Amino acid sequence: MRGKYLLGLVVILAALAYLIFGGLGQNLVYFLTPSEYLQDQARYQNRPVRLGGLVKEGTVRYDKDRLELRFTLTDGVAEVPVVHKGTPPGMFKEGQGVVVEGRFQGDHFQGTNLLVKHSETYQAPKEGWTPEEVRKLIEEAK
Amino acid sequence: MTPALLGNLGVSLALAFSLLGLAMALLAYFQGDGRFLKGAKALVLPALFAALAAFLALEWALLTHDFSVAYVARNHTLKDPLWVTLVTPWAALEGSILLWGLLQTLYTLLASRRALDPWRASLVLAVLFGIQVFFFGVMATIASPFQTLPNPPADGMGPNPLLQNHWMMAVHPVLMYLGFVGLSVPFAYAVAAMGVRRYQTWVEETRWWTLIAWGFLTAGKVAGMWWSYEVLGWGGYWAWDPVENASFIPWLLATAFLHTAIVQQTRGAFKAWNFAFVTLAFAATVLGTFLTRSGVIQSVHAFAEGPVGPAFLGFFLLATALGLGLLSRVNREVRDTAVFRPLSREGALLLGAFFFAGWALVVVLGTFYPLLAEALAGAKVSVGAPFFNQLSAPIGAGILLLMGVGPILPWRRPRPEVFRNLYFLLAVLALGTLLGLLRGYTLGASLAVGLFLYNLLAIFLLVREGVVARVRAGLSPWSFLENHRRVGSLVVHFAVALMGLGIAFSQTYRLEAEKTLYRGQAWEAGGVRMELMGVRALDEGRRFAVEALLRTDRFGEVRPRLHFYPQMNSPLPAPKVVYTPGNDYYFLLMDFDREKGEWASLRLIVTPLVFWMWVAGVLMALGTLYILWPVGRAEEARGVSPA
Repeated sequence: MRGKYLLGLVVILAALAYLIFGGLGQNLVYFLTPSEYLQDQARYQNRPVRLGGLVKEGTVRYDKDRLELRFTLTDGVAEVPVVHKGTPPGMFKEGQGVVVEGRFQGDHFQGTNLLVKHSETYQAPKEGWTPEEVRKLIEEAK
Repeated sequence: MTPALLGNLGVSLALAFSLLGLAMALLAYFQGDGRFLKGAKALVLPALFAALAAFLALEWALLTHDFSVAYVARNHTLKDPLWVTLVTPWAALEGSILLWGLLQTLYTLLASRRALDPWRASLVLAVLFGIQVFFFGVMATIASPFQTLPNPPADGMGPNPLLQNHWMMAVHPVLMYLGFVGLSVPFAYAVAAMGVRRYQTWVEETRWWTLIAWGFLTAGKVAGMWWSYEVLGWGGYWAWDPVENASFIPWLLATAFLHTAIVQQTRGAFKAWNFAFVTLAFAATVLGTFLTRSGVIQSVHAFAEGPVGPAFLGFFLLATALGLGLLSRVNREVRDTAVFRPLSREGALLLGAFFFAGWALVVVLGTFYPLLAEALAGAKVSVGAPFFNQLSAPIGAGILLLMGVGPILPWRRPRPEVFRNLYFLLAVLALGTLLGLLRGYTLGASLAVGLFLYNLLAIFLLVREGVVARVRAGLSPWSFLENHRRVGSLVVHFAVALMGLGIAFSQTYRLEAEKTLYRGQAWEAGGVRMELMGVRALDEGRRFAVEALLRTDRFGEVRPRLHFYPQMNSPLPAPKVVYTPGNDYYFLLMDFDREKGEWASLRLIVTPLVFWMWVAGVLMALGTLYILWPVGRAEEARGVSPA
């Protein structure tokens, strides 16, 4: 009698473990900077990614009738073109640190969610971003 | 006397009374001396008054705009309306801990008034005083709400605008804390029961306390979902955010306990499980606070930043060690002798508890995986919502399935006539699912329809059974309502089924459309025709508001807004939600012409059945209240069975 229950429990746990670890692998969202992406492009194609960096000066194009925002994201070393469907958030401007959630599709990053501002106490550095600061930005964006 | 002085005095006194109470309660237990117990009990009320004084001092400081208090300077501004000022004590960390401490003293008072044998009463008081020592200790040292500033500013920064954007924020945190703190009493009872090795009787009393906490937690969670829906402007109510997960875990464990406790009450089984569930539910509330307050989940490096995080982590480890340490003793001494058949009430309840506990495990894993990944592989990742959704859907379906069949099944072994009901139920489940598929719903949504009808039928069968039994006994059919536990739990179960239906449909069918409209331009989306009449700006003192005036064919004039707060550099959306029984129409203003007000970018989100989720939330709270409602003396005398 005991054995039967034990077997059932093991089966349930195994199924659960399979679901959990299978599901985890597919649904991990990677936190990346543009230069990290460029080091290993194939790995991040079409996977959920949280990409952080600065909006490069002079690259913002917003078409309000098609609600399409295009800009280049940079971390000072590498650059990635971003296409985002939707309106720019309130504080979106050139030189601003932003985090884009979305996927790499071919030559550009297709954003689904654009985050500009973070925890209320977070203060963006004024000049000269270091990769560490970009990292911090990505992690703190909510 | 200044507010800061009174506040510090209140906190120090509460800490002193709690420490003294803890010492007295422990002495009472180890010396077996009733005088110490009396002493400990006498300290409960003074601790409450001291905590209340501290809390009122904070309100006093806020109401008199005393910006020399750092908490006031950081979280209050002269422009705040009165209601915002009054709820500001729980707008930030220090005040929240103070509220937590105050509610803890309140629960300690209520718990100390219940009759218990002196041994357990001492231990219960020792645990509750111990928790108070922790909270007031934190307030007295590392997170004082009454820290003063040498150079007070003329005006403060005001609370987080997200909190003032909807009145629900006044209610949601208090409900959550009432739930979290409420779980401390079951924990204390469990520790006391394990301490004195009386493993059976504690369950009845604890169930009652857990139900109170569960009711508050449920109401708090639904209120939070509603707030998220109405304020955050993304048209959703649940994002599997660590903060949400942190409060979902204790809810799941408390729910598991509420069900396994019934088995222990009637059949004396699951003793060890019940101790484990209660201990872990309480520990999870502390862990949740640690997670959400220390910033650890965004990055491990935030660990060193706040001193509050490690304090909560230490307290979590202590509570878990105490509970699980005692539990290992229980495990050695308790043998559950009952034999279980899968097709029995206890079998269904056990399986249900496994589902709840498994769900909690999934949420814990998903929430903590980023920490693990960073520690082991150095990779920065987060776990996406699809992971949680994929796992929660089958677990939720399993729970809905058990919820219908469980109460129908008799204890021990099924009687032959039960099978007729079972086949009937399964037929309705299959029929409902088929009906959904024929209407073109997805498999998941169809299954949700099937499960809803199946649960509806199960509830009907149970009500009929109860009413028929009473009529046969010569009682009025309405006397069934006197069985509070049965009726209340059926209401809650109905609400859960309704919630399941709402979640399944709102997650599956969601229509989103965006467009930039010029003044006078019309747009038809999601079955609504709307025309932009104009955009206007309003000065509301503490904030600016921009409204888009939309004329719709079905709902008249609709005005979605954007709020601009001085403390915040990006505007907050104030969507306009039109609830209808079928669909929710969620109008969102996203952008507008800042120069001439000639155009506005709008988003319309149409989500089915969300309205019913809020109805379900209210029903869950009402059902819980009905179970807890004191039974009149007449019924007690008549001996109406509680089962």
